[in-house]
Amino acid sequence: MIKPDERLMRSFDWLWFLALLALSGSGVLAIWSTTSSVGIDSYFGKQLAYLACGIIAFAVLTAIDYRVFSDWIAVLYGAGAVALILVLLVGHSVHGNKSWLSLGPLSIQPSEFMKVLVLVALAKYYANLDMDHLNLKELAIGALVVFVPAALVFLQGDTGTTLTYLPIYAVLSCLAGIRRKHVVALLLLVLVSAPAAWFFVLKDYQKERVVTIFNPERDAKGVGYQTIQSEIAIGSGRGMGKGLKQGSQGSLGFLPARHTDFVFAVLAEELGFVCSIAILLLFLFVLYRLYLAGGEVRDKVGALIVSGVAALVLFHVVINIGMVVGLFPVVGVPLPFVSAGGSSLIACFMAMGLCMSVRIRRYVN
Amino acid sequence: MAIHQDANRQLIQQRLGRFRWVALLVFLTLGVRLWQLQIVRGDEYAILAERNRIREIPLVAARGAILDRDGTPMVDNRPSYDVILYREDMKDRDATERYLVEKLGIAPEALGRLFDRNRKSPLYHPIIVKEDVGMEDISVVSAHQSDHPEVKLGSEPRRLYRYGKLAAHLLGYLGEISEKELASGDHPGARAGTLVGRSGVERSYNQTLTGRDGARRVMVDSRGREVGLLDEQPYVAGGDIRLTLDLDLQQVADQALEGRVGVVVAMDPRNGEILAMASAPSFDPNTFSPRISSKAWSAIVNDPDRPMQNRAIQNSYSPGSIFKVVMASAGLHEGALDGDPSVFCGGASTYYGRVFRCASSGGHGALHLEAAIARSCNIFFYELGRKLGIEKIARHAESLGLGSPTGIDLRDEQGGVMPSPEWKERKHGTKWYAGETISVSIGQGQVSVTPLQMLRAISAIVTGGKLTTPHVLLRADDGPGSWPVTDLGLEEAHVRRIRAGMWQSVHGGTGRNADVPGLDICGKTGTVQVVSRENKQFMRSNSENHSWFAGFANRDNPEIAVVVFVEHGGSGGMAAAPIAKKMFAAYQEKRYARPDAAEEPGASTRPGAAAASEPPAAAAPAVSEQPGGEAP
Repeated sequence: MIKPDERLMRSFDWLWFLALLALSGSGVLAIWSTTSSVGIDSYFGKQLAYLACGIIAFAVLTAIDYRVFSDWIAVLYGAGAVALILVLLVGHSVHGNKSWLSLGPLSIQPSEFMKVLVLVALAKYYANLDMDHLNLKELAIGALVVFVPAALVFLQGDTGTTLTYLPIYAVLSCLAGIRRKHVVALLLLVLVSAPAAWFFVLKDYQKERVVTIFNPERDAKGVGYQTIQSEIAIGSGRGMGKGLKQGSQGSLGFLPARHTDFVFAVLAEELGFVCSIAILLLFLFVLYRLYLAGGEVRDKVGALIVSGVAALVLFHVVINIGMVVGLFPVVGVPLPFVSAGGSSLIACFMAMGLCMSVRIRRYVN
Repeated sequence: MAIHQDANRQLIQQRLGRFRWVALLVFLTLGVRLWQLQIVRGDEYAILAERNRIREIPLVAARGAILDRDGTPMVDNRPSYDVILYREDMKDRDATERYLVEKLGIAPEALGRLFDRNRKSPLYHPIIVKEDVGMEDISVVSAHQSDHPEVKLGSEPRRLYRYGKLAAHLLGYLGEISEKELASGDHPGARAGTLVGRSGVERSYNQTLTGRDGARRVMVDSRGREVGLLDEQPYVAGGDIRLTLDLDLQQVADQALEGRVGVVVAMDPRNGEILAMASAPSFDPNTFSPRISSKAWSAIVNDPDRPMQNRAIQNSYSPGSIFKVVMASAGLHEGALDGDPSVFCGGASTYYGRVFRCASSGGHGALHLEAAIARSCNIFFYELGRKLGIEKIARHAESLGLGSPTGIDLRDEQGGVMPSPEWKERKHGTKWYAGETISVSIGQGQVSVTPLQMLRAISAIVTGGKLTTPHVLLRADDGPGSWPVTDLGLEEAHVRRIRAGMWQSVHGGTGRNADVPGLDICGKTGTVQVVSRENKQFMRSNSENHSWFAGFANRDNPEIAVVVFVEHGGSGGMAAAPIAKKMFAAYQEKRYARPDAAEEPGASTRPGAAAASEPPAAAAPAVSEQPGGEAP
């Protein structure tokens, strides 16, 4: 089964893969440019290693039939949930988020991988239902599949990653056939629970982040400071950028989290509007290919997986770039393929590997 | 099953189609936002990024020195140290506060206030916690440098007035520039906190003394730490100012006024160079450097003797009998004394139904002009005033500069009053009474002049009409000033008669206490009645008469003119003349006693003058130096 089939290889979408490589390559470039003065092996070297792992994961998941993967999803999902619980018990913190598990010298962030597992689990569950429309019970079970792990992630203190679980549920439920009255009911539920969450669940720093989005100058050295500095970085890149390693905002430390969540600002500062638009177009291209793939899939689980991955990518890109350009609050959501960080990069390649597996098997039954 | 799956799949594809538009819209929004940030507002953000990264650190230009006419520094700068707190390097605020309070003796409340005041400023912004510290604090900070790296020493030059209160009014003092002055644009290159001259030479020559600040442009990181030097524009030190002042004469003037309220001004009558200008009481401008404490300020402001006032130019007084010199000149010039008439003084005379008295109740008998000046006879000048009339008196006095500022290169000079019928009509709306002319004739009534005006007027009379512009600037780095001299063209014969009267005054007359053997001194005393005898009982303050003396040397070749005024000093002959004598004696000592004395001003003959222009010996603690203690 792992043995590459010639017929399958012919369906491999090279352009799609190259787009992914271009995106992660630009990330590696930005990380090299902005952190090499700190020590070249610390971020740049690691990111290159992660990229290699990501490509291998992509290849493996492309080779495996996605139906095999989805048949084993219950086991994988269970393992992922155990990992999340372990994080809460023995995990360690970075920047106040207790999201990491230590495995020898490696640090992994299970919540990133769990996104993919939750997506496949929900796709698998919805695909087995033979109805045009979901009923309330099915909707509720689907919610459990997504929100139990999401709650565990939220308990880690990672608001950003928690948020990224939402579109998985929303998009897959829509595609599986949610009733209009249920949509209205869910929206009402959100409207009611939002104030409750504001007063009883959200921590002060999380509230602060929501508030400053409406008024970034409110605290120039605080949360809004990051948004202002990010806008300065992007704007000062102008059309063609300042050149690699010439970005003062990034290299002098004005940009917060410059190699992770704000990596897009580094690229925009050093390579200008040309580069920032190119990255947007690359993402658009990847989404377009996912959309095409989703349309050609023969079975329901494959279609749901591809659409779910598309939703995840779209959501990440919108939230991350929206935050960096000052349209959204600062939440810790990485830019897929570009931001530094192994777990996110490898999980992204795994998700794409699944989709490629779906695509190349579109005519196989 | 396959058919069913297929149906479901088609349904999914149908539903997926809707999301296309959402995705496109979202990407379009992001694209537009990037266009706005990078293309539309790119230049604006580029400037912001530059400002973020580049910080300008001012290099404060040292202020120029102020030297006396021989080149002896009177005002220059001394190094001084401040204790500075860098909050970004502070690890434990409590430990830092404890250190500052216990080791450096800073009051905990003051420290709290300092922190509060700076709460909004960025952390890399240093706070000065203690200014101008002594050796003890310097060694404490140096010793604790490793365990308290957040507390450092910063050096800043401070203004040093080497002679303390000496000539303080003339030299002036410094103060922080006000927001209004900053906005006015009169101080190019000034920033908030820049010290500017507030009075005296420091103010009138502020621009020359200030120099131009330089700047270091450094690259900083987001914590404000320097990571590299971009460029450095060195400062241009302020220019030195050489004054016309003679330190030796100035010291005599200040010492002579010790404990009194009054003025001594010495001037070269030929060109208007001020050789000494003392106003007492004085203040120590060092207390203003760098800024005065509110306690010291209120002590100065609430002093009834107003020590900040330069009485030589900012206060006007009745000239009293020294005005008779002006009267004599007016009489001669207007022809009222043609034929050398004599007047009989019987001790009193009646004009317009009122009795006017002479100082000598028994009367001086018959006298001519010279004797009338020498013995300060009132009756002679009453008669002269009656003959001349107020218009001619006023016209002549005004031509000698009385009643208007002299134009000296010091600010806030007062004009005084030379009354005339037009003046009275304008000011009070009432008519001039003939009796007032009689009072004006002996310098009483409404006549009100500054000591400097009087000195200038008398100098003009005795030099044959050379009305100078008094000035204190001899030479600045940017060149000498221009000081116009108006020639009034007084007739030499007239001048000789006035000089003779004044000579007699010092040689046997009312001014004899000013005489110095070896000099040919001429002068005139004045005693101004402060309150009439009837009103004396209502006065709480000192009602003793004001004392004047104005004189010059030598009779046939005036080189130095001196005016002395002592508030409530008593008679001019007793209080003011002896002070003038000290000035003449000091001048004689300097000008004639030394065989090597040179004519050229500025070619120093004072022993040690050259050495004194060097900075003070490094071993001497600059802070505790008491320059005023250099007694002659």
